Amino acid sequence: MSEPLPNFFLADLPPGDSLTPAIVTEACRTLKRNRERYLVERNTASLVRMISSVASNWLDPEYPFRKQALAEGPAATGFSSKTLAQGLDTYFNSITTDRLTNLLEQELGHVDRMDQPSENTIDREFDRAAIATGPELLAHITGGVLPNPAFTGIILGLLARSAQFVKCASGTSFLPRLFAHSIYACEPKIAACLEIAEWRGGSTLLEDALFAESDLVSAMGSDDTIAALQKRVRGKFLGFGHRVSFAYLTRETISGFSLPKLLRRAAQDVAAWDQLGCLSPHVFYVETGGKVTPEQFAEKLAQELQALEPEQPRGRISTNDSAAIATRRSFYEVRASASAETRMWTSPGSTAWTVIFEADPTFAPSCLHRFIYVKSAPNLTTVLRAADRVHRRVSTVGLSAPEDRAAGMVKELARWGVTRVCAVGDMQNPPITWRHDGRPALGDLVTWTDWENGG
Amino acid sequence: MNAGNLLSGFASRLKPRLADLGSRPRSALPQSEFNALALELFALQFQHVSPYRRFCEARGIALGSIDDWRKVPAIPTSAFKELELTSLAAEERTAVFHSSGTTTDRPSRHFHSAESLTVYEASLLGWFRQHVLGDWDRLIEDERVGPLDKPGFILLTPPSKAVPHSSLVHMFETTRRELASSDSVFTGLVAADGAWQLDLDATLFAIRKSMCANRPVTLLGTAFSFVHLLDHCAANNIRYRLAEGSRVLETGGYKGRSREMPKAELHALITRHLGIPTERIVCEYGMSELGSQAYLRNACSADGVPVFNTQALHFPPWAKVLLVDPETGAEASEGRPGIIRILDLANVYSVAAIQTGDLGVMNGDGFELLGRAATAEPRGCSLMPA
Repeated sequence: MSEPLPNFFLADLPPGDSLTPAIVTEACRTLKRNRERYLVERNTASLVRMISSVASNWLDPEYPFRKQALAEGPAATGFSSKTLAQGLDTYFNSITTDRLTNLLEQELGHVDRMDQPSENTIDREFDRAAIATGPELLAHITGGVLPNPAFTGIILGLLARSAQFVKCASGTSFLPRLFAHSIYACEPKIAACLEIAEWRGGSTLLEDALFAESDLVSAMGSDDTIAALQKRVRGKFLGFGHRVSFAYLTRETISGFSLPKLLRRAAQDVAAWDQLGCLSPHVFYVETGGKVTPEQFAEKLAQELQALEPEQPRGRISTNDSAAIATRRSFYEVRASASAETRMWTSPGSTAWTVIFEADPTFAPSCLHRFIYVKSAPNLTTVLRAADRVHRRVSTVGLSAPEDRAAGMVKELARWGVTRVCAVGDMQNPPITWRHDGRPALGDLVTWTDWENGG
Repeated sequence: MNAGNLLSGFASRLKPRLADLGSRPRSALPQSEFNALALELFALQFQHVSPYRRFCEARGIALGSIDDWRKVPAIPTSAFKELELTSLAAEERTAVFHSSGTTTDRPSRHFHSAESLTVYEASLLGWFRQHVLGDWDRLIEDERVGPLDKPGFILLTPPSKAVPHSSLVHMFETTRRELASSDSVFTGLVAADGAWQLDLDATLFAIRKSMCANRPVTLLGTAFSFVHLLDHCAANNIRYRLAEGSRVLETGGYKGRSREMPKAELHALITRHLGIPTERIVCEYGMSELGSQAYLRNACSADGVPVFNTQALHFPPWAKVLLVDPETGAEASEGRPGIIRILDLANVYSVAAIQTGDLGVMNGDGFELLGRAATAEPRGCSLMPA
């Protein structure tokens, strides 16, 4: 067992110690004072170095915080140790100096924008320089059990030089807390501008205290939660509602020699974070007319998930979640016994994974925890019509298509409202430059000051 | 012999047995007899309910390969939406019971014939009488009611003519016809959108009438209908004291039409506004896919002794419960929650082994209901705790 973490963040306090609005207010004011002292004048290059060095620490098998995450994570988060390791590796591998620099250039047009008035080619055309300023206090309301959104939120907030208060959904602060402690171990002064707390959503007194001190509130959750929060925030508000994702595999790519690799990557998309993220696929649409039928693809995917199970076991789930899967399986068992257009493959003696094949392309929301639909797709247009129930609520489409078709398909997906298309296998692995729900990553946080020299 | 004859033969042997067991308190069906009947019925249903046979065959189960009722393949209640799970030919079907549910959902369909309804009624009446009216004879002895009096019912659902496909209302109608006094009354209505409503005036009139006559009355309804009635009582500051010996039969079924209320709270409000004590509130657990019902024994048992065991539901001896660990599919270990499966011998003409979407846990010789397995549509990450 690792050493218990020192009481540095509110989320470190024993569960019995209840928070009060006064504690939240005081924490926010301390954060703002610390920001003034330690963060506002830090230059971008040193922050980028600090963040990428923390990220590379997390990749080291001997790093104490990583060891603690993998040892205590299964009990704290419900993910198996190997699934956690896979998820953390994928995430922290993507946080490098180069990528953070790219992010700043993509979002702000120049890597020094947060440091001083600076100009890129376009600015020079207008004889202008510009500087961007982040919010003084940025509040994050996280939803869901994946840690990535909280990690990314913290990284973006640091680059924006904001004091940050991260309010985690009940039972989900373990990994964000460890990440914050890893920043503390690297630079205590920077971590002094960061607070991690956990309380049950809808604790309005605590939330109102937080909102009163915040310049920007960024929230994730169900559409209802977002709508309710938005009404209570007077300042700037960024809401990210829940989304669903699916994948589309064309007849050409499933017919090629790389099918085994494609299947492994597809299985990884289902297994990543036990399918619990908005970017995890609910359905694999497989085009008809290829060398393997959608049904054969489903069978092979089932074999792939079975092979993956010892490597990355699905986490333990509650009786209710098991019952939801068992009940859903019974339904499809009946359907499969009555029709050749439905088939089911299941993990033996457990609910670890389930593959349902249906010829009917109607989008079906999965009950998650590695429960995946494979559906026949005559073509993309038909699929989008069949996915009408999730229109405008799709985040990511994993696409496997030949070069000559891909651009046209991306255009069709974009016009339909999809905000991210990626390779199958990378669905849960958006880069730090990802425009969440089609919005700017860092650009949404900052306020610009234009300095026009000319005249 | 054809299907009808074989199943009819089974049904006609079963009916007197049900009537006998149902009429005697603490009756039991020996395990070996239950097992033999269950296997016999399984064999008949395997042969004569073709979608069930295909379901079994898809599992690799052949006739004669089962030797224990626990291994009889249980068909999920959702299958009644997809398939015609019946041995009855189309022309024999005189009634069909639908599950309650949202209107956009396809309902379950449980087909009945005149003959299958007689089995249903044989299963219903004795067990109902024991649990809901078990102390009626004592009320007669105590001269609370006359020796020839039958209990008066106020039924808070629409009458069966208005909702012919409701198994609950068929159950209520059967008990009214067979057990209740002639002035018993249905006080529910069907609104234009098909939703059930309560005629409050008619209900309150019937209640006041029973109070004036100082006659014990039995109120039967869904939890939803009681919430509606009690909300009205609370809003108008009504606090009745129904005649002693009055009682309530309450069954699940909020159907999303009213705020949900924990049972304990609902029962406390029944006591406050109607003056009916907790031990005379009986909860029922049933569904259109089953021929038998389970009851919470809150009311006085048949020998007049109040039974305060409170959380355990009991099916009659001809319907047995098995809890299945949802993770492994094996029988749940003792004290662990599981998905509720029932083998109900009264389901002669459809499928006897039913897997519900409910979670329960064993408690003594009964079981406790923990709630529905989440069958609601998942909405992406909305499944995650907020």
